[in-house]
Amino acid sequence: MAYSLLLSLLYLGMLCGNGLVSARSELFTPDPSRGPHFTGCRSREQETFRCWWSAGIFQNLTEPGALRVFYMTKHALSEWQECPDYTRTVKNECYFNKTFTQIWTSYCIQLRSVRENITYDEACFTVENIVHPDPPIGLNWTLLNVSRSGLHYDILVRWAPPPSADVQMGWMSLEYQVQYRVRNNSHWEMLDLESGTQQSIYGLHTDKEYEVRVRCKMTAFDNFGEFSDSIIVHVAQIPSKESTFPTTLVLIFGMIGVVILLVLLIFSQQQRLMVIFLPPIPAPKIKGIDPELLKNGKLDQLNSLLSSQDMYKPDFYHEDPWVEFIQLDLDDPAEKNESSDTQHLLGLSRSGSSHVLNFKSDDDSGRASCYDPEIPNPEDLATLLPGHSGRGDNHPLVSRSSSSIPDLGVQQTSEVKETPIQKQPAVPSWVNMDFYAQVSDFTPAGGVVLSPGQLNSSLEKKKEEENEKKIQFQLVSDGAYTSENTARQLSANVPSSPGPEQGYQTFPTQAVEGTSERGVPGCPPSDSQMPYLLPEAPPSPILPPVSDYTVVQEVDAQHSLLLNPPSSQPAICPHSPNKHLPAMPTMPMGYLTPDFLGNLTP
Amino acid sequence: MNRVKVLQAWLWCVSLWSCWLSHAVPLDCKDETGSLIQCTSISQEKLLDRVIQHAELIYRVSEESCTLFEDMFVPYPLYALRNQGGTMCHTKPFPIPGSKTEIQQISDKWLLHSVLMLVQSWMEPLVYLQTTLNRYDDAPDALLNKTKWVSDKLLSLEQGVVVLIRKMLDEGILTPSIFEHSLTPDDEPSPEIPESVLRDYNLLICFKKDAHKMETFLKLLKCRQSNKLSCLSY
Repeated sequence: MAYSLLLSLLYLGMLCGNGLVSARSELFTPDPSRGPHFTGCRSREQETFRCWWSAGIFQNLTEPGALRVFYMTKHALSEWQECPDYTRTVKNECYFNKTFTQIWTSYCIQLRSVRENITYDEACFTVENIVHPDPPIGLNWTLLNVSRSGLHYDILVRWAPPPSADVQMGWMSLEYQVQYRVRNNSHWEMLDLESGTQQSIYGLHTDKEYEVRVRCKMTAFDNFGEFSDSIIVHVAQIPSKESTFPTTLVLIFGMIGVVILLVLLIFSQQQRLMVIFLPPIPAPKIKGIDPELLKNGKLDQLNSLLSSQDMYKPDFYHEDPWVEFIQLDLDDPAEKNESSDTQHLLGLSRSGSSHVLNFKSDDDSGRASCYDPEIPNPEDLATLLPGHSGRGDNHPLVSRSSSSIPDLGVQQTSEVKETPIQKQPAVPSWVNMDFYAQVSDFTPAGGVVLSPGQLNSSLEKKKEEENEKKIQFQLVSDGAYTSENTARQLSANVPSSPGPEQGYQTFPTQAVEGTSERGVPGCPPSDSQMPYLLPEAPPSPILPPVSDYTVVQEVDAQHSLLLNPPSSQPAICPHSPNKHLPAMPTMPMGYLTPDFLGNLTP
Repeated sequence: MNRVKVLQAWLWCVSLWSCWLSHAVPLDCKDETGSLIQCTSISQEKLLDRVIQHAELIYRVSEESCTLFEDMFVPYPLYALRNQGGTMCHTKPFPIPGSKTEIQQISDKWLLHSVLMLVQSWMEPLVYLQTTLNRYDDAPDALLNKTKWVSDKLLSLEQGVVVLIRKMLDEGILTPSIFEHSLTPDDEPSPEIPESVLRDYNLLICFKKDAHKMETFLKLLKCRQSNKLSCLSY
């Protein structure tokens, strides 16, 4: 009961009392509207404490000594005692030193005016509750790290406890609070309480100035001390880009250099690379004769080479009707030495005895389909030649199948032209021959025997003969032809013809009916057959039409072609050149010209 | 049958005796490796550190309890009571040093004994506090838990101090003195809230003050143990 009364009284007293010294109140701001009152009591180190008061409104009490402080400790039920020490330097301060300071005991102080014996103010407290530690000292910071981007950094802040607080002995245990802010900013960032003497601050921005300060309080108490002096933290933005910049530059330049090197390498070794990456497609391996060998090799090698080829058929000339052979006269040295018109025509060189068969490699592969690519056995071909002395190196000409021998290389002499003889193989130089055979004899049946002899009659000779003999021969302008009719005229005293400069004249003779090399008897000579008909009508008797073609019946031992007389088939013109040759070129009657031969090919 | 009965009785006796033995044998201790070894005594420094830790914890929890109670039950103007450090704290029958100078002059023995007496003096009031707090309708559980925890820790603290006294002072265990508390538990069925509130608040404040005392004493003692010169001199 008494206890409860006491409590209630105390409660009322607290409510009514003025100038309560509250541990949480903000002191030291004297209230001018009030009378004399305590403005605050503080202890710095829990060993001493001070109290301050203010006269307030009552200005007449400002002189020293007008107001006095009395204190009493509840601890020992002592009396009111006066302030042990009025501080001389500071006005209105009462200082309690160590001897007068009791911890864990409640003090009550009173502000009295002694003269009037009025208690203006009273306050009770315990010392540990009014402890406001001094600010920590020695605040400094160190850089912990900087972020990779160089925009943020962390620092470690260190300080020392206030020297007045006896932390070492354990008399006071302090807790610290660090605050920081951007400079000149109004808002302070507060960190958690730290019982140690260091703390790290994370996430500060570079190029910004920061202020850091620290204060402390006793553990499990509420009274913070004053803040320490602020320190400025500033980290300049490390130009980390520079450190990375050269590396990126180096990388870029390195890449460019490598690319340039690669490009140069590729361009310099283009061929090789082409071969490596795009290997050439191997050409089909066809067994053939090395063209280089044909150009440069000796005839012995060629012979062996050609003989070893499988595709040469010895008897091809029997089977292939399209191949015609022309006999060549090799044994007449005089003829060899003479430069025949044929040779001129063919453009062969007569120098030397290079027994080289000139084959022209016909590029026209289209024609190869028409013919079997058969090349006659050179030896067999050589045997066809009259007077073949067994030399294997004499190769006769193959008339029209030049296109059928595409693989044979040609030793081209400089004079071998392709133009007039495109369709025919070139005549070897040593062959002194004409394309036309001489009619040597007549058979009783009416056949004409052709011999490989040559009635060589150059134009000059003919003229000489004309000059000499009052030539009755009709010469072919180019001299390459031996006119059969002229031969007939020589022998049969055929009525003379006009001058030699009249070109061709066809004299179909009665005696030679059916004996011409060409033409089918009975066929009316068309106009085209006689392109060289002179304007004036030939005064000669009209001869029966001479066939353009005749059939070679056989070859005798002397290598003469026996031509059969054509049967009288007037209506049949199997080989009418009109059929085959729509455009008959200049063609004398009765003569087989090389061009004609060529034109006859289908 | 008789033999069976005798056998059963015998087995029961043996089992009971073994149980009694197991209880009687001191607990096996585990060292750092985890193997069971005979309990070894703790070093004095470690013990002192642990005691100090206990005291610190108790002090902090008491402060938190005080704050909790204050926020819940105490109106704002009465916060000044806290500042006063408890007006009606029960007095101690023995003198307890109150200033730093006094503490520095006191011997280790007196320090330890002072701590022990403080601890022992608060055993019962804390129990009382628990009962009174339970009577509040809206007492926060945290407060109740904390008070409970504190009373438990206080017991272990007492044990530690006793061992410490035995070690440091080579004294026997003093017989615990029985303190008469001025605070008697109220038997009123429904006390007025202001009185009980004031009372409890006062109790909490006083306990907090004494916990602070204990912690300070023990820390000073530790300083003395480690470095006697700086702790004793000014």
